[in-house]
Amino acid sequence: MGLELVENLLEVFTAEDPMAFDHPQGDPWSDFREIMRVEWKVEFKYRHVLGKYSKFFIELANHRFLATECGNCGKVWAIPRPLCPDCLHVTTWKELPGTGTLESFSVSYFVPAFMKVETPYVLAMVKLDGADTLFTHQLRNYGDLEKIKVGMPVKVAYTVEKVSHPMLLMWFEPA
Amino acid sequence: MEVMDRKRRVFVLGGGVSKFAAERADGNMRDWINEAVLEALADAGVRIEDIEHSTTSYFSDHFDKQLKAGAIFHDNIGMCPKPNVRVEGGGATGGLAIRNAYAYIMSGLCDSMIVFGAENMGRHVPSDVAQQFIALASDTDWEVQVAGFYIAYYAMMMVAHMERYGTKEEQFALVSVKNHRNAMYNPKAHYPMDITVEDVMKSRMITYPYKLLDNCLLSDGAACLIFATEEWAKKHSAYWEKKPTIEVTGTGCGTDFMRMADRPFPYPGITHFRGKRTAAEQAYRMAGVKNPREDFDCFEVHDAYSGVELVSYEDLGFCKEGESGPLAERGVFDLGGELPTNTSGGLIGFGHPVGATGLAQGVEVLRQLRQEAHPKRQVELNAKRGGMDSHGGTGTFCVVNIFERRD
Ligand SMILES: [Zn+2]
Repeated sequence: MGLELVENLLEVFTAEDPMAFDHPQGDPWSDFREIMRVEWKVEFKYRHVLGKYSKFFIELANHRFLATECGNCGKVWAIPRPLCPDCLHVTTWKELPGTGTLESFSVSYFVPAFMKVETPYVLAMVKLDGADTLFTHQLRNYGDLEKIKVGMPVKVAYTVEKVSHPMLLMWFEPA
Repeated sequence: MEVMDRKRRVFVLGGGVSKFAAERADGNMRDWINEAVLEALADAGVRIEDIEHSTTSYFSDHFDKQLKAGAIFHDNIGMCPKPNVRVEGGGATGGLAIRNAYAYIMSGLCDSMIVFGAENMGRHVPSDVAQQFIALASDTDWEVQVAGFYIAYYAMMMVAHMERYGTKEEQFALVSVKNHRNAMYNPKAHYPMDITVEDVMKSRMITYPYKLLDNCLLSDGAACLIFATEEWAKKHSAYWEKKPTIEVTGTGCGTDFMRMADRPFPYPGITHFRGKRTAAEQAYRMAGVKNPREDFDCFEVHDAYSGVELVSYEDLGFCKEGESGPLAERGVFDLGGELPTNTSGGLIGFGHPVGATGLAQGVEVLRQLRQEAHPKRQVELNAKRGGMDSHGGTGTFCVVNIFERRD
């Protein structure tokens, strides 16, 4: 007795030997099979800086979709990069029309804890007109799941409702 | 990239694996490491006090809420005050750790190295929180915020593969059937099972096109390998030349953009693992491998999802792009086939305690090359060579290592 003094105690139990058959002399850990489990809560909150990428989100709020263009090799990176990885030149912002084609997608019936999203939800990779690389976001307002086809035209749509992260100011939907 | 000093060679003296399970509530990472280390020391016939250096292999600080866990593993097995280094490359961590042992020994920094790895993936956090921890290994600014997580990324890769090559869901379901079946002959395996393609197809849809049985599971477990030069082994290993001699003859590493969205077209696009092709080319060149399907007797492939194994066949050069599905149907990669893959059960059947996974692949290849595997999963030795493919992110880090039997 005395364990009731431990406020975060979840259980005390006897663990089995997972490899009982592997020990010719019996269970070598038999003296260590009484197990406690306790609860340990950890919470983190970050003051996260969006840095050189901030303009992308500021313009999303203005319903404009910006990519970055390399002044040296001309490559347009849809997910913005201040530095072109192909030639290490500093890029400049370039507005795209926000239309494109569906390159691939997946349909999830399960979602990790941190996302407030209704299932099923569709994650999509889109080749935006005027960009050389892809952009990843959710596809919404697709009607029937069967109607989603690789190669279909899609467009950037903008929220008019409050969102929990600036990335959610936009999504894709069929054009 | 050429190995400069051919006089110096690195041998695999022994290996050990703890039981892999959904939850090892009887202990935590350090305890499973102890199990794997004790088995590896006994297998190698060496004493820990003689080993000069260690490498730690684990992926996530979140799962065990313990930073610098390597210091605990290292002191737990009496290695202090000798040197230790941690390597980390997501799912490729174990493969990187083997490569690290090779590099340290070849450089002369040490003549012997013990490599231990573990991951505490078990049931102490709910599986959606576990998926969140793993999602943190993708771009947290640009991908995670839109509900990106690993099954969804890999599902998009597989949809692109199906679209491009006509690969069918039933074809990657076969990989799951094979790996669960192979695990039945591995007593350390987390998930041995005798199932059919229909069982996989009918299992719960997680993220189209991946069903529950297409996915590997989160496992608790640890693995260990011991490497040394011949001179060191002669002096310190009771089993040198008494057990078959196994040498590390190739290692390669490749990478790709963190986000699939940034990868160039047409190759790899969002379909292929470019870093894996790079890693394989380096390792094959070092080991003199020309035709992998003939030049290997077994290969452990990183089957985080069943389709990943198919795509990996193509990027590891086992077949041309788009051919993996039909070859899986022909049983080319089954036990008794031309090149048996994941004889241990792989990530799907054996389990995937991330930091241990790549090392467990090495232990399996060691057992196979020494002909110590369970008779039902022991391969026939012809080339006397086995390979392993360790892979992190969506192919962001890839490592290919090669062991060969010398006799
Ligand atoms: Zn450029």
